[in-house]
Amino acid sequence: MNAPERTAAFTLDEDNDERKITYLPSPQIPNAGTFTFNKEDHTMGNLIRHQLLRNPNVHFVGYMHPHPLIHRIDMKIQTRDGTTNPGDVLLEAIDDLTTECGQLQEKFDDAMSKFEEEEHGNTGRNM
Amino acid sequence: MPNNRFPKLHILSSSPHTLTFELSETDVSVANTLRRMLIADVPTLAIDLVSVHENTTCLLDEYLSHRLGMIPLRYYDDTANRYGDPSKEFREPRDCTCEDGCPKCWVTFTLGVQFSDKTDNPNTKTVSITSADLKSSNSNVSPASFLSEEEEENAQEEGISLVKLARGQHLYLEARARLGCSKEHAKWCPVAVATYRFIPEITLNTPALSKLTLKQREELVECCPDQILKIDDVTGQIILAEDYEDKATFTEDLHYLQESMKGSPEDDNFITVKQSESRFVFTVESTGCMHPVEITRSAMRRMEEKLIMLKGECAGINEGV
Ligand SMILES: [Zn+2]
Repeated sequence: MNAPERTAAFTLDEDNDERKITYLPSPQIPNAGTFTFNKEDHTMGNLIRHQLLRNPNVHFVGYMHPHPLIHRIDMKIQTRDGTTNPGDVLLEAIDDLTTECGQLQEKFDDAMSKFEEEEHGNTGRNM
Repeated sequence: MPNNRFPKLHILSSSPHTLTFELSETDVSVANTLRRMLIADVPTLAIDLVSVHENTTCLLDEYLSHRLGMIPLRYYDDTANRYGDPSKEFREPRDCTCEDGCPKCWVTFTLGVQFSDKTDNPNTKTVSITSADLKSSNSNVSPASFLSEEEEENAQEEGISLVKLARGQHLYLEARARLGCSKEHAKWCPVAVATYRFIPEITLNTPALSKLTLKQREELVECCPDQILKIDDVTGQIILAEDYEDKATFTEDLHYLQESMKGSPEDDNFITVKQSESRFVFTVESTGCMHPVEITRSAMRRMEEKLIMLKGECAGINEGV
């Protein structure tokens, strides 16, 4: 009876005006801050973290998923100097990943048609 | 965009239930995200609401409803002429424009079976109700049963068993299926298996190996259960088997054996086995609800949609919206 809705794990709480991403700049460290991704988990968290780590302007990035029943991740980003801020590097990382994902789909379709040509000369996909 | 990668993809095998492909020139994080997307983010159809009108079988209504939910449902794509992605045709009810259900968001199945419908034989004790007894409101949506005609001919039963009826029992119900994803409930999970493994990278230290005796080299070859190494007939040196990438699984014994052959522990390894950091072999096995190729396409599409959504949100944050 007290169980939360299952959909609460992946749909934003619109009644409480929940935003997908919120940003809290660090009060102590310049060029650092915490991004909260609501209703996201390791699927996106780890992907974005790894992409950020490839950027030489990123000094630190880490994320945590506070609890299996708390559906958000907190990602801390610190950049190397004042010329770039955490928001910029994050946007760049997500943008690069979007491009890569588009590439991935293209490559999959190419590989699939190549495979079908080699295998059967026809579709061979029918269940 | 300085940090772009250009992944490569190569299909190894494809069948109605299983797809294997090699993903390369990318990172584990991408491979793992794809795996998690395959398991939890691909929308499929499953029965979600059941109205039981009359049930005199041995199973409770709830038990039956749960069993109904587990049946994989297939959507036949008329335009593509094969079993395809149901998210192209259906919407999740909460995203639908309708008030209380329409054919775009719900598919209704009816089931009405009594013992006497199934048999005339007075000696029959029980009959089975299977997924084949479900009558669909949408001719393109049906319970998944057999992947090929050959499989159907060889099988003993005609569908997925739901419950057995004894003489005089009957079951009447209406079940409604909708689109969902397995973050909500595992019954919407399209895959039975979605894994990737790392390609092994084996380096042979030929100068060090040639100092070993032939017997020692033979020992090294024999301690690998997967036969990833062999002795060259002409030179007597250790070489890699042609298909070592597909076979290598267990190399711990190799590690311990070569440690014992070293003159001192600081010596270089004879044979080093590492996991590749950029080549992954994926195996995607379907539950029967969709073709594994369509599952993979759908997962990749959802991954891109998600990233585009995050990109928009992030741009909004940066502009202070
Ligand atoms: Zn609707």
